[in-house]
Amino acid sequence: MRRPLLGVAGLLILVAVVELLPRLGLVDTRFLPPFSSMVSALGDEAGTGGFWTALAQTLRGWAIGLAVAVLAGVAAGIVIGGVPFLRAVTATTIEFLRPIPSVALIPLVVLLYGSRPQSALVLVVYAAFWQVLVQVLYGVADVDPVVRDTARSFRFSRWAVVRRVVWPTAMPYVVTGVRLAAAVALILQITAELVIGVPGLGRSIGVAQSSGAVADTYALVIVVGLIGVAVNASARAVERRALRWHTSVRRDL
Amino acid sequence: MKRIGLPVVLVALWWAASAGSTSFFWPPLPAIVAAVPSTWTGDFWLHDVVPSVVRLLIGFFLALFLGVAAGVALGTFRTVFFMAEPVLEFFRALPPPVLIPIIALVAGYTGWTAKVVTITLGCLWPVLLNTIEGVRSVDEVARETARSYHIAPLKVIVPSAGPRIATGARQALSVGVILMVISELFGANRGLGAAVVQFQRGFAVPQMWTGIILLGLLGVALSGLFQLVERHTLAWYHGWRRAEREG
Amino acid sequence: MARRLVALFATLTLAVGACGDSGTTASGQTKLTIGVIPIVDVAPIYLGVQKGFFTEQKLEVKLETAQGGAAIVPGVVAGQYQFGFSNTVSLLLANAQGLPLKAVANGVASTGAEGKDFGAVIVKKDSPITSAKDLAGKRVAVNTLRNINTTTVSSVVRKAGGDPSTITYVELPFPDIVSAVAKGDVDAGQVVEPFLTIAAGQGDKQITSNYAGTAPGLTVGMYFTSTKFAQENAAAVAGFTTAMNKSLEYASAHPDEARAVLTTYTKIDPAVQQKMVLPKWPSAVDKASVQVLADLATQDGVLTKQPDLTALLP
Repeated sequence: MRRPLLGVAGLLILVAVVELLPRLGLVDTRFLPPFSSMVSALGDEAGTGGFWTALAQTLRGWAIGLAVAVLAGVAAGIVIGGVPFLRAVTATTIEFLRPIPSVALIPLVVLLYGSRPQSALVLVVYAAFWQVLVQVLYGVADVDPVVRDTARSFRFSRWAVVRRVVWPTAMPYVVTGVRLAAAVALILQITAELVIGVPGLGRSIGVAQSSGAVADTYALVIVVGLIGVAVNASARAVERRALRWHTSVRRDL
Repeated sequence: MKRIGLPVVLVALWWAASAGSTSFFWPPLPAIVAAVPSTWTGDFWLHDVVPSVVRLLIGFFLALFLGVAAGVALGTFRTVFFMAEPVLEFFRALPPPVLIPIIALVAGYTGWTAKVVTITLGCLWPVLLNTIEGVRSVDEVARETARSYHIAPLKVIVPSAGPRIATGARQALSVGVILMVISELFGANRGLGAAVVQFQRGFAVPQMWTGIILLGLLGVALSGLFQLVERHTLAWYHGWRRAEREG
Repeated sequence: MARRLVALFATLTLAVGACGDSGTTASGQTKLTIGVIPIVDVAPIYLGVQKGFFTEQKLEVKLETAQGGAAIVPGVVAGQYQFGFSNTVSLLLANAQGLPLKAVANGVASTGAEGKDFGAVIVKKDSPITSAKDLAGKRVAVNTLRNINTTTVSSVVRKAGGDPSTITYVELPFPDIVSAVAKGDVDAGQVVEPFLTIAAGQGDKQITSNYAGTAPGLTVGMYFTSTKFAQENAAAVAGFTTAMNKSLEYASAHPDEARAVLTTYTKIDPAVQQKMVLPKWPSAVDKASVQVLADLATQDGVLTKQPDLTALLP
């Protein structure tokens, strides 16, 4: 009980500081407007169709990119993880490709797609894919070899082994991968919008900043932060449920 | 052999697959390689690559220092941590590039300071949050023992939080590389990220690809270097883990 | 296997990329997608579409805005746009890199009047910089490095007796240039309308008109297509050129309508919209001025070899 109350107190202190610093003239309002004007700017934004369109564009880009990355990551992970030879030879390659910053691809996607949503999609998928793949590989490696061999000796088909043995073990890892990927996907979606000008909230932030609408800039940044919090919190909730299910199943085995 | 086998095969495949390419955007690999000597000149290293990497390192180490210091403080005082938790949660969830418009608003974005501040702010959260977690998980017994034997608490806390701090630092480094590039796309003059975009705008596609490859190599080199340092400083931890596993 | 994968990837990219395709509608109209930048320069094409000059030529035109000329050129090469608008130096760069492009109509030109052009270098009111020569050794903001604005600013500085190689150019979007100049983040900035009028409203002074100072009738931008499209669709190209020239002439003759059409695709303050200096929209490309730009860009090292102007220009 004490913990949430203290948390609320902390948030209130932050809000109060942001409200008072500019009001007392300690910080120029051109740099940091009072919290109340950010809120009213947000209210004005929420009254425009443009804001909701941008929000929908951001969320759609994020969701599609995440979905593609998860599907590709899971499929690649199960195939690579299931074949020892592939796992051995790809290990270093994955370690090699993963640290390549996705933003290095920005010039390429600008050439290919300009500021259309495909640009963001490529960056989001590339960045989120590795998060999923690496987790799936951990998961597949965690499969009990005895269980797998037993299933094989019972002449389970390849597909059945994947479905009944590999998937249940790898599942919690997949969920963790999805959680990590969800956060990274949002970062890249917003980055692409801000940097390349793909339509969405990131571009709205850039436009607001360029046109000197300071309170709007902060308001939109707060919205993006809240989306991030929502993504993290819901991903963690899903993960917790999946993990609970998982441990109980394993205990039964 | 196995370790380098696949990358070599992949490069060979790229070479073969792009050999006859007439597409403007996907030039043959030999054309890209041929563009390297005229692109990666002394001037390029000195005025684009080195300043970028220096900015990255300054920002990263500043974040490491600030993050560990603040993390130890927040991890030690529970009340303060509980108060700060939702605020930290918010800043952690904020995609770091959105800080750029804010920093541009306050400080302008054409100098080194703004770019270093961007990198520092982006790298700060992973270090800070992991340090807090690490410190909070330090054994109560270890802490008590330290207190009764009059050992400075930091001498106990920092090493036991070490592995978590290392995790945070590794995450921070990859965020840092991303921000190093993005920070140069605004108010740019020179820098590796800025150079790659200049090549793209000038339709110098093979040169652009050499830049992308160099960025990739930089990412790999930094992560390799990091692993080396981590293995060295956390040798005791890895030894202990191995002993425990084999035990 | 790898070849097939690459081929598959290429097909996918093309499939994704080719959504802005051309085609013929039931009424016999050719559908075209045109990449433009939402700035004052392209007011004539918006006006022409509004006036029906393109439908007269059996062209159904869709205008799509992109962030900059550098994004439109690859779009035209890849066939996402059939035509595009870009500044002259970007087209020269593309041509020098071997991109098969063909300019089909003039775009926008300098007014040629020093102090009354649509692009200029601005400084703060109390700045010690009073002439182009003083820009030497200073920090100057431009919207794109190594492009038309650095080339023309360097040119006017050189003509005034300064050494342009000592200028530090910094890249910022136009709206940010105005505030960077105000904050003292940069010493000077090159901006175009409407930002020039906005900056003047904040008390900034113009010190040199970099387009007019480079060549009086400087061709700043042009409409272009890919050579492939031009060869395969001669009729559509001829129609586009006719409609575009008519639009340029109409916009030149009716500046008030050109100002009015701006509100349909930009967010310009009405006061600024009335006060701002409009560019010239002649229907012919000033070939001599394009040659001047090519020479200057080569001299500055922006171009590594001379572009083939006969292939590029209409």
